[in-house]
Amino acid sequence: MISHPGLAPERTRKMILTALFSILCIIYVLPVFMVAMNSFKLNTYVKTDTFGWPRGESFAGFSNFVTGMTFGNYPFFKSAMYSFVITVLSSALILICTSMAAWYIARVDSLFCRAIYYLCVFSMVVPFQMVMFTLAKTADTVRLFGFWGPKLNTPWTIPVIYLGFGAGLAVFMFAGFVKSVPLAMEEAAAIDGCGPVRTFFQIVLPVLKPTLISVGILEIMWIWNDYLLPYLVLDRTMYMTMPIHIQYLKGSYGTVDLGATMALIFLSIIPVIVFYLICQKHIIKGVAAGAVKG
Amino acid sequence: MKHRDSAASLSSTLIRRPIRHWGWLFVGPMLLAFCVGFLYPFFRGIYLSFCRFRTTSDAVFIGLGNYSRALTDPGFVHAFWYTALFAVVSLVIINLLAFAVAYFLTQGIKGSNLFRTVFFMPNLIGGIVLGYIWSMIFDGILSKYNTSILMKTEYGFWGLIILVCWQQVGYMMIIYIAGLQAVPTDMIEAANIDGASRWQTLIRITIPNVMPSITICTFLSLSNGFKLFDQNLALTAGQPYLFAADGSQIRTTEMLALNIYNTFYSQNSVSRGVAQAKAVIFFVLVASLGLIQLFATRRKEVQQ
Amino acid sequence: MKKLIIALLVVLMAIAPIFAQPVTEAQTGSVYWLNFKPESDAVLQELAAAYTAETGVAVKVVTAASGTYQTTLTAEMDKEAAPTLFVVGNAAAVDTWGDYCYDLKGTAVANELTTDAYNLYDANGKLCSIGYCYECFGIIVNTDLLAKAGYKLSDIKNFATLKKVAEDIHARASKLGFDAFTSSGMDPSSSWRFSGHLGNIPLYYESVADGWTECPPTLKGTYLQNFKNLWDLYINNAAVAPNTLAVGGYDAEAEFGKQQAVFYQNGNWEYDALTTKYGLKDSQLAMIPFYCGVEGEEKAGLNCGTENCWAVNARAKEADIKATLDFMSWMVTSAKGTELLAKTFGAIPYKKAAAPANVFLAQANEYSAKGHYVMTWAFNYTPNVETWRAGVVSAMNQYDANQTDANWETVKTAFIQGWAAQYKAANN
Repeated sequence: MISHPGLAPERTRKMILTALFSILCIIYVLPVFMVAMNSFKLNTYVKTDTFGWPRGESFAGFSNFVTGMTFGNYPFFKSAMYSFVITVLSSALILICTSMAAWYIARVDSLFCRAIYYLCVFSMVVPFQMVMFTLAKTADTVRLFGFWGPKLNTPWTIPVIYLGFGAGLAVFMFAGFVKSVPLAMEEAAAIDGCGPVRTFFQIVLPVLKPTLISVGILEIMWIWNDYLLPYLVLDRTMYMTMPIHIQYLKGSYGTVDLGATMALIFLSIIPVIVFYLICQKHIIKGVAAGAVKG
Repeated sequence: MKHRDSAASLSSTLIRRPIRHWGWLFVGPMLLAFCVGFLYPFFRGIYLSFCRFRTTSDAVFIGLGNYSRALTDPGFVHAFWYTALFAVVSLVIINLLAFAVAYFLTQGIKGSNLFRTVFFMPNLIGGIVLGYIWSMIFDGILSKYNTSILMKTEYGFWGLIILVCWQQVGYMMIIYIAGLQAVPTDMIEAANIDGASRWQTLIRITIPNVMPSITICTFLSLSNGFKLFDQNLALTAGQPYLFAADGSQIRTTEMLALNIYNTFYSQNSVSRGVAQAKAVIFFVLVASLGLIQLFATRRKEVQQ
Repeated sequence: MKKLIIALLVVLMAIAPIFAQPVTEAQTGSVYWLNFKPESDAVLQELAAAYTAETGVAVKVVTAASGTYQTTLTAEMDKEAAPTLFVVGNAAAVDTWGDYCYDLKGTAVANELTTDAYNLYDANGKLCSIGYCYECFGIIVNTDLLAKAGYKLSDIKNFATLKKVAEDIHARASKLGFDAFTSSGMDPSSSWRFSGHLGNIPLYYESVADGWTECPPTLKGTYLQNFKNLWDLYINNAAVAPNTLAVGGYDAEAEFGKQQAVFYQNGNWEYDALTTKYGLKDSQLAMIPFYCGVEGEEKAGLNCGTENCWAVNARAKEADIKATLDFMSWMVTSAKGTELLAKTFGAIPYKKAAAPANVFLAQANEYSAKGHYVMTWAFNYTPNVETWRAGVVSAMNQYDANQTDANWETVKTAFIQGWAAQYKAANN
């Protein structure tokens, strides 16, 4: 093979880049690795011997995980379950309600609709600190069906709060997408005598699928990791989510068991990484789409 | 234009009218939740910023006093400058790194997909957890030098910068990759044929073509920097403190959002209204950043 | 598959509200106790369960994490189901929450009190809160180890002798196999022992000199040098390096429990853990006063007092107030209640109180009987106590890392100017 003058340096350049990035990647995952490593160390060694292997006298086996489970008089699986319930219910509720609203807003396009749309855009730029003190009180006062039913401060009803505070971005993204969808199919359905509700669920929703995934991913990432909103809104006599639990342990009195805290942090990262590895493509696409719109 | 009018009128008869009967179903749930979860707390918050109150239900109107207190609080002023500095520094570093990584990962090197996956990963970890992971690492390193991240403002500042870089570089990288992939290849090829160096191609062709991504990432990292809370709370929580001449505390690594939170909860009842006034000021600040961004991206869209 | 997931979601969302049971408007009322002492959480949960089992009245005990009591109370008082029983432990808290306090004068539980010393009244003479336990703190000594090092408890009479003993033990630590003091970690899990309890030295002596009856707007700091004396002794005569204290992560209780140190500054509430968890015997334990170089300190006693005072939420529902008062009087009169209270709080100032088997409290009484003066809890006057202490901790961290005069000046600023600033913030 005749050597091409420009190609060989190009190839070495690429190989160097690959090598360089491989090293960078290893550095990049080190923090997570460190958490895993320290979760097997006895309490005092987490601070004094952060970078050493857990071995001999510093090795704790799974005892950190065992103590972590009931640490602070609150079983960890309970906060994990509430985190899961809140994330799933809230994301589902947001997706359904905002996609419906966005379709209506985009298609009807009345003054009322425009007002709602701009309110949604406005809500996107309002920081949480602006509403947090009053939101906690509101969630403690308002009940699911107005004056009746459970309050909005339980994991089963907090999705309403998430829908209210997080509607902006979702409506914005859905409305943007709906506007770019041609009317032809919906018109055909209407001519065939298909009512709006059926049209929406059978025709519009499937078309919206890519945006549904993007918005869903963004909402899941937000809600799963959210600390302040559930901390202020949830009835703290009964419920914790994982971030709240971890913050509570670190701030507690008596002695902070760092080994157990690391074990819980490790446990809370695992589902995130599994979820990421499974839905990686969608997540990256969703983020790109969300960022470009919002 | 004629064509569009007729399309609109067609859609109005076939689609608009029937949907309108169902408006309560389509918009109702979202609108009700929006009122409970956003509109009411928002306006109530504005009202309370003019009040003195101990709990939000026993408010007494006092006028602008809270605002003048907020603006003369040295802790708040410090938090503002600290936050602004942090936002700008993190903006520059995150975007430089993210762009560099995205640039190299779009050159067709082996393992690009894997690298992209790894770089994005920290983005999925929540702020509280991130803070504790890095506080463990920083203290692990600094304790070798017999100090701690809580001891020096500089440590806290750069520690937080490293943390947000780790978290956000991957996110911005994704946006830059999308932008870079949209740069027309024929333009780059043409430049290569003309004998332009790699550097020249980057400056003259690539960067102008990814300007929209740069705008987005700039505003995104700026507003992320301003709104940072969880990471700040978990990493240093404002330590170390300085004392002003009159003895008032300045929590040197406390950012705006945390300052508002601390003002509301950890002091006496007078400060609740002050905290709400601070929140309104904070809102005006963040909202104007956001609106400038919307305006900037809108104008770009029109131009294209 | 996809349809299944969607169907499941719909079903889940439909049944979700069922899980969130609306709070039943019970006629009997219920109790919600916002607890102030995290280390008592386990016992209080037991107490609540015992009461519920006996009477069927629901009692919820929620514990705020360290340093967040005011935060949690502020948030919770704004709620519809606000705490019915909470802690108003000092004059500043009376100022803030006085309006919310139910007048406890003449209630069954107040009539059970043996002393009025720990009760707090507002300006109009309303009985806002009543003490539910009194405590003592000082320096806990492992007398066995002290003997091994060749000393007797009676060798320590004042700061000079304490310093001599401690420095000698520290110098021979590697030979003896134990050190003088346990670690003085400054992370939130133990910094309150120093910013709060050790900080009582300058506050107490100044309060005596100036005859405090309420929170003074400024602090003189005359006795800060004495605070420094003892603090220097703690941090320079322990197994851990002073400049690592800011990071914390140490477990002083375990160090003392495992007999790695002779001295451990803490209070009578440690008795339960030291004897049951670590198996130390009564004969090994003693508590000595804060000897810090003040004139006449040979006659000092332990630091006794309380910041644990119950207040009942006057704005709670009538039925809940009644339930709470019933629960309170059950706690101080029933066998089970007094037993558990004594177990976690030590001494409670009520007529039917179970006698606590607590060496430290017994010693506090001994000191008084011998005519030593009680160091009362002058830190209860601190304005904006959590903020003020956080400032002191931050300044002490700087000092521990580098024990220079300049850094000590910062600690002084945190004490003195910090006091004035917090007083101003709290009172205008």
